[in-house]
Amino acid sequence: MNKRKFARVFTMALLAALAAPLMYGVLELPPPGQADAPAHSNVSAGYIEHGAELAGSENLVTGVLLNFRALDTFGEVLVIFTAWLAVSAVAGKGSETGHDSTPPSPVVDYVVRLLGPFIAIFALFVIVNGHVLPGGGFQGGVLLGAMLILLSLALGRESVADLVPVRSWIWLRAAGVLAFSLVALLGLPMTGYLFGLPIEPALRHALMIVLELGIGIGGGAVLAGLYFAIAGVESS
Amino acid sequence: MSPTDLFDLVLLALLLTCAIGIARLKDLAACAILFSAYSFFLCLVWAHRGAPDVAMTEAAVGAGITTVLFLTVIARVGRREK
Repeated sequence: MNKRKFARVFTMALLAALAAPLMYGVLELPPPGQADAPAHSNVSAGYIEHGAELAGSENLVTGVLLNFRALDTFGEVLVIFTAWLAVSAVAGKGSETGHDSTPPSPVVDYVVRLLGPFIAIFALFVIVNGHVLPGGGFQGGVLLGAMLILLSLALGRESVADLVPVRSWIWLRAAGVLAFSLVALLGLPMTGYLFGLPIEPALRHALMIVLELGIGIGGGAVLAGLYFAIAGVESS
Repeated sequence: MSPTDLFDLVLLALLLTCAIGIARLKDLAACAILFSAYSFFLCLVWAHRGAPDVAMTEAAVGAGITTVLFLTVIARVGRREK
């Protein structure tokens, strides 16, 4: 048996030795949907029973994201912002202007101009309805980012520069972090806790929309910024 | 076996096919498209399992944006794996 073959057999054996206990562990899991499984019986049961009323959001996922676990979501928003900082530090903010797309055909040009506003409206709909329907800031933000990338790909980077002033990019990218910091600090005078949302429904609803819009705009701007940085399209 | 279980099994088989394809192919652009397909099948799994929020994220991020970012990077670094 030569060296290469030995390495291959050895790797397979190691992988099998790793897979066996993992598979065994999976067999021990309770069947999906079993009501008295540990995952469904402690905190989750409380969330399902009182979550909608306590968090002020009919979509429990949004309730957990923006209210019960707001600190974790703050972390996620920071991670997204930091990702853009890291990419722009390595790849530049897109100052290399070698990649300038020209419209491939009138058909693409027309279709993108037609679709753009609809995508934007759908993105906003997904963002502000996060507390009743599936979706929310993250999903809507990705749609916004996709729209900006689509515009830049099909109509060239000037169309995006027309839409979003170059100087506002850095603030838009920080929108999620800023919105979360603001709401976290507002919680102190209103409820005595960081990230505490007031009980009064209208005010709580308004603050949740601020959070959702912050996540959405920040996420969308960061994703577009990642594309601009990697593709070398100028944005700021 | 109920039809829902069968649906899950078909989706898992498709996921596995995509994953093996990604591991074996040397053409990075094809891999990016297969990743997109993988995400889309995974999105169907989430939707079928009653997790519409995760399904939406998977469709938007996994099948949409990451594919664009992958293809952009591939356009810069070259298409073939060495």
